Amino acid sequence: MSRPGWISFLIGIALGMAGGLYYSWILSPVEYVDTAPDSLRADFRADYLALIASAYASTGDLVRARTRLALFPELDPSSELAALAQQRLAAGLGQAEASALAQLAADLDRQPQSPASTATGLPSSPTTPTTRPSPSSTPRPTPTPGAPFSLASQEQVCDPRLSAPLIQVEVADAASGPVPGVEVIVVWDAGQDHFFTGLKPELGLGYGDFSMAEGVSYTLRLAESAQLVTDLTTHPCEDEDGSTYLGSWLLVFRQSP
Amino acid sequence: MSTHLPRLLLGVLVGAFIALVYGWLIRPVEYVDTSPDSLRIDFRTDYVLMVAESYASDKNLNLAQFRLAALGPQPPDVYATQAIDYALEQSFSRSDLELLNQLAIDLRALPRPGEIQAP
Repeated sequence: MSRPGWISFLIGIALGMAGGLYYSWILSPVEYVDTAPDSLRADFRADYLALIASAYASTGDLVRARTRLALFPELDPSSELAALAQQRLAAGLGQAEASALAQLAADLDRQPQSPASTATGLPSSPTTPTTRPSPSSTPRPTPTPGAPFSLASQEQVCDPRLSAPLIQVEVADAASGPVPGVEVIVVWDAGQDHFFTGLKPELGLGYGDFSMAEGVSYTLRLAESAQLVTDLTTHPCEDEDGSTYLGSWLLVFRQSP
Repeated sequence: MSTHLPRLLLGVLVGAFIALVYGWLIRPVEYVDTSPDSLRIDFRTDYVLMVAESYASDKNLNLAQFRLAALGPQPPDVYATQAIDYALEQSFSRSDLELLNQLAIDLRALPRPGEIQAP
């Protein structure tokens, strides 16, 4: 092909590609229809996960919740739901949602998926009708309503592995089983905050903690209990080298039998 | 001109072919950052069912409306109705249908925007 011939050919390619892109981007741009939940934008995805947790909080159907979460193949449910609960709590969003997320995260961690639970609980594709399982009446795990929690022990903790002094809370039921999703309220002279047990499942389903500042006196109570634990302040600890650091508190609450 | 035109047209065809191969095979469209209003009908129905399940417990109709608003600009009861239609078509369980129905009833009882209420 002569040089002018090549130029014509290249101009043609450029025109063809320009025309193709004009058609695909301007005249007939992509429309997102019939998408799946895993393609949702991050904020919608967070809302969707929170909705799964809220529905689970209502029905107690872990199989269905698990099936819904399976729509997000890259999701690490227990840790991501716990993190999402903390984010929502920190952002001042719904406490009920945060509690539901924490509860679902804890329950997923506590009850590993069994082969039977892979049965679909979701709507089938439009072409393959499937009968949905009805929400089961499986009783939800703890916390058990009605029975109050009381402080079983309170001790100072000197643990040099902790990066900051903490108020560590462990909540157990009457059978000494950990209780996730319990709201803990912390008050001090300049403010207040709250957290839930079960948000750090790797440390125990009934575990929750709060970072203390030096020189501040904290008062703590469980949202479901009127019992106050007062005068929680940092205290000096000494490590093996003789250097001092700030110590923590460990509070154990137990449900009355 | 007569010698250039066939080459130009050939170039157009090759260019369009390259664009299609690139767009369909090398770098096809990936659905990311979508919103709930683009969900497939079965996922939309399950979304509405989750709202209904949650509503059955908390009875917070404002929250239910807020959640359903993510599905698009239509009144929330429309989405509940669509979900019921699909649920009937797909033989959802009776309890699921009751949850959806209750949500739809309560949403329909709300005054539409701009509707004048009797004193």
